[in-house]
Amino acid sequence: MGKRSLALCRQAPYGNALAREGLEAVLAASALEQAPDLLFSGDGVFQLLPGQEPDGIGQKNLQRNLQALPIFDIERAYVCEHSLSQRGLSLDDLATGGPALHPVSDIGKLISSYDTVLSF
Amino acid sequence: MYPATSDTRNQAAMNFTLAVYAAPHASQSAATALRFAQALLRQGHQLYRVFFYCDGVHNGSSLATPPQDETDLLPAWQSLQAEHGLDLVVCIAAAQRRGVLSEAEAKRLERPAANLAPGFELAGLGQLADAVAHSDRLVTFGS
Amino acid sequence: MSLHIVSKSPFSSTALADCLTSFIEGDALVLIEDGVYALSGALKSQPVVGPVYCLAADAQARGLTIPAAVEAIDDDRWASLCTEHNPIVSWFR
Repeated sequence: MGKRSLALCRQAPYGNALAREGLEAVLAASALEQAPDLLFSGDGVFQLLPGQEPDGIGQKNLQRNLQALPIFDIERAYVCEHSLSQRGLSLDDLATGGPALHPVSDIGKLISSYDTVLSF
Repeated sequence: MYPATSDTRNQAAMNFTLAVYAAPHASQSAATALRFAQALLRQGHQLYRVFFYCDGVHNGSSLATPPQDETDLLPAWQSLQAEHGLDLVVCIAAAQRRGVLSEAEAKRLERPAANLAPGFELAGLGQLADAVAHSDRLVTFGS
Repeated sequence: MSLHIVSKSPFSSTALADCLTSFIEGDALVLIEDGVYALSGALKSQPVVGPVYCLAADAQARGLTIPAAVEAIDDDRWASLCTEHNPIVSWFR
């Protein structure tokens, strides 16, 4: 189609369902070879923290969804640098076991390069 | 030159898809989505699809019975659907989690009742990807 | 350029702040629902480098006055703005 779409992931995992349902929508689109690019910003960067063990709160590990992304040829994801520094984090604190993470400083410019933005 | 006006019927019609994540009566968002859909159709644009996702699947429930002095979104969606042949798609995965089932799904999953309202259909998340590929614009109505 | 739609109060959510950090020249902002509470001052402390619109019905419903720097719009104008801009980015929560 030549149309470029971006999934904007702004929710922390587990506290609400949107982080999970957002990644599920990304995986479904990817399975149809319409994979959007991914941008984690705001509390969405918390999805990328290693060592998540949500068994004790009765939830599935959201990182398994991230780890499935390369199977669908999503090899990289963007991360908002400003959101990281706001939260006292750096790229070195993150690990997905999935796509490689690329820091972005001007997310406005990135967003404007897409035809469609899916907000999650 | 056309005069400056909010009427865009002079402009080329566009294909829109709306993604609705919010349940009716829980926040304003679902009602906003309906009003926006009405505005688009009024202006001669096409709605390729309305995709109900997350808690938005509750918009497709036929069992809600709000008090008479409160706005009921369901008949409004249904009359838009009937008038314009809208594709009102409720995400099947999100709907199963939240208990919005068609007759076929209720039977298949051995549940005691079905509640998917006429005018709505259950379909997979692929319908959102398809809508993104085939629409000029996507507008998300969050929760 | 992008049309940003903000639907939450700046006092309860980072939606507006996050939107404004990704707002670039040529973009436009539409305040809807509780997003209209930004009218009472949040926009003065963080000026927007582009046009700001506000759904008049949402402001009116909440007893808010729309300042002159913000353009009051109806649903039809909002729909037109969505045809004039791309992509459309919703900021909620």
